[in-house]
Amino acid sequence: MAKLKQDSKPVRLGPLVAKIIIMSLFAAGLGYMMFVAFLAGENLIGGVLALVLIASFVVYSSNGLVPLKFLLPGIVLLAIFVVTPILYTVLMSGFVYKTGNEISREEALTQIYETGYVPDESFTAFYMTLGRYEGEVSALLTDQMTMTPYLGANGVATELGPDQVQLDEYGTAVGFEGFEPIGFDEAATLEADIIDLRFDMGEGKFIRPESLDAALLMIQAFTLDGSSGELYDSVNDITYVDNGEGNFVNKANPEEKLFPGWRAFSPLENYVGLLTDPVIRGPFVNVFIWTFSFALITVATMFAAGLALAIAMDKPLRFKRFYKSILILPYAIPSFMSILIWNGMFNRDFGAVNQLLGQQIDWYNDATLAKLVIIIVNLWLGFPYFYLICSGALQALPGELEEAASIDGASPAQIMARIKLPLLLQILSPLLIASFAFNFNNFNIVYLLTNGGPINVLAGETAGATDILITYAYKTAFGSAEQNLGLASAISVIMFFIVGGLSLWSLRRSKVLESVI
Amino acid sequence: MKRTNIRSAAWRHIYAWALILFSIFPIYVVIISSFDPAGGLASSTLLPQRFSWVNYETLFTSPTIPFMTWIWNSSYLAALNAILSIVVGAFSAFAFSRLRFKGRKTGLQTLLLIQVFPAFLALAAIYVMMERIYTIFPAIGLGSHGGLLLIYLGGSMGVNAWLLKGFIDSIPMELDEAAKIDGATPFQIFWQIFVPLSAPVLAVTALLSFIGTFNEFVLASLFLQDVNLRTVAVGLQSFVGAQFGANWGPFAAGSILASVPLVALFLFAQRYIIGGLVSGSVKG
Repeated sequence: MAKLKQDSKPVRLGPLVAKIIIMSLFAAGLGYMMFVAFLAGENLIGGVLALVLIASFVVYSSNGLVPLKFLLPGIVLLAIFVVTPILYTVLMSGFVYKTGNEISREEALTQIYETGYVPDESFTAFYMTLGRYEGEVSALLTDQMTMTPYLGANGVATELGPDQVQLDEYGTAVGFEGFEPIGFDEAATLEADIIDLRFDMGEGKFIRPESLDAALLMIQAFTLDGSSGELYDSVNDITYVDNGEGNFVNKANPEEKLFPGWRAFSPLENYVGLLTDPVIRGPFVNVFIWTFSFALITVATMFAAGLALAIAMDKPLRFKRFYKSILILPYAIPSFMSILIWNGMFNRDFGAVNQLLGQQIDWYNDATLAKLVIIIVNLWLGFPYFYLICSGALQALPGELEEAASIDGASPAQIMARIKLPLLLQILSPLLIASFAFNFNNFNIVYLLTNGGPINVLAGETAGATDILITYAYKTAFGSAEQNLGLASAISVIMFFIVGGLSLWSLRRSKVLESVI
Repeated sequence: MKRTNIRSAAWRHIYAWALILFSIFPIYVVIISSFDPAGGLASSTLLPQRFSWVNYETLFTSPTIPFMTWIWNSSYLAALNAILSIVVGAFSAFAFSRLRFKGRKTGLQTLLLIQVFPAFLALAAIYVMMERIYTIFPAIGLGSHGGLLLIYLGGSMGVNAWLLKGFIDSIPMELDEAAKIDGATPFQIFWQIFVPLSAPVLAVTALLSFIGTFNEFVLASLFLQDVNLRTVAVGLQSFVGAQFGANWGPFAAGSILASVPLVALFLFAQRYIIGGLVSGSVKG
């Protein structure tokens, strides 16, 4: 029946053409990006783009799948820019990923080998004549001790017979068939190429130019034992082992690390560090406690001040409208700006607060005072919100309750304390929990006001007295001294659990999840 | 009885006035400072002594403080994010509210759970991800407005979809049933019935989204290193953070300039915003 009706509808050409044009532009853009991504070797990104392209093609060119037509843009955005970072955070928290351990194991090994090239034991040196052989920059090399001539070309050193080369008066090879010597002047212009020349001698040895007319025999000090995974340094006679945390360490002295390290997968390392390593655990526990106390205290003070105001303004009052419009101003001003303004106002020497008090209080250099500043400023920012929702809720309470209670002889104060308040708390509890969760992650108030301080960097402190989990994670990940992305991710995962748990609890309480229809 | 009434009224006024003074104290200080030609925190006083526009001129002319650029960056990012997230969010909200399909309930519950996590919680992962994207697509990677916008969009779209779904649920079913009988497709119902009916709600949700993005600091500071690309939150923090003493005057002038439009907008839409607040979103 429905099918019949659709067929009988006249096809409107305009929208159809527009749809085709938009879809082809979109497909062209995405297709181009996909091509670029695959070309750059980023198969993961290219694959995701391909998936999006195919999905949108299937969904928008079919006649059915109407719900997906509405949902696809949202699904794609949420999946790529919300869910993926969350999952990636969980993954990163399982890696040792910090300053000194930022690259892959292969890249780290390459860099270690790069530092491991040393002259061989007898310091074998060569006289060198630069030239071109088969068009490439090459060299004729003569061992200074044995006077054996070699041709170094195309990355390989080949021993030559004494009768194949022309020697100068000192017995140094200077000519060879097909080899065109180049002068010092030209060589000087090729310096960058010459520095990179390597002529392999086999057994891990190679010849490397040291100047424009001399070269040295180099060996690789490190050898990796494929079966045991041990790295042996033949020059210093040290055996290094993989410590499982992204570094080769001296087998005899595990504290001695070889740099650089790599991102090592060690799933519990960061979490164990948070719980047991005194250097990490100390600040973490303090930050953890303060985060909870801050969120609790700040919600309590804002709610109390807002509720009291709502009660005070509940009755008819002269100038009520005027009061009200001023009282919500703090809520209307962009909060980051208010916080920065308050930051200046609490300045010790010139701030307006000290001027008003006639004191020279050093607000930011004392842990307790700095905490107080944060609570006060957040109170300023937040009480209007609680005033608004409390007065809304008070007005929504049924009037019969109050009437019935006053007939029974209850005083206004009793009505407020025994009847209205409990009801109000019940109505507003989801908002109180949400506000707790918001302040739990209130980065701006801490970062812009005290920047987590006071902090004694000289004493080695990594967290300030007013740092909360999110600012601590930020400093851990992007701090100036050490950047520990793995540890920061572990802190983020802990915050996911707390925020998620709180929200789930709140949703369960209000039965929102179950009542989803 | 009468006496207690007067006394109680007095207390109400006193308490209200105490909070009023608390509320306007910083606003007063900032206005005074913005007109003080000395410009430094050191010379600021509680009572106005001099008057000049010099701090405002500094904002518009100083080459080291591209203040107007910052305001523009913040405004257009916040506006784009508000509009796009409302469009995408409204599409999703409509599907969840009006269409019946398999997996709808699970999808809705998933959305509800995902949207409680603020994007910046995953800051380290976002940084690494966007750094990698930057190597192939600089325009949507780390350091770009495009990348920042995409992260913002992902976050606010979920919240907005959830808020809007609540509103669309309250529109009577009879309306779209009538339209369906007249042969309207779901897209026509969406554009010709829901969008006009929910225009005020869409506007308020967009405004809340705008304010939220305008205030955002963490991700913007992570993304935007280039002085000229900064948002006003990151820009003001950087030039204030370095030398609060010296830049206090221009900062005060700048904060007034940036706040006035937002405060006006807020007061204008006050009634609707408060309704939206009580139904769920949180600030402060």
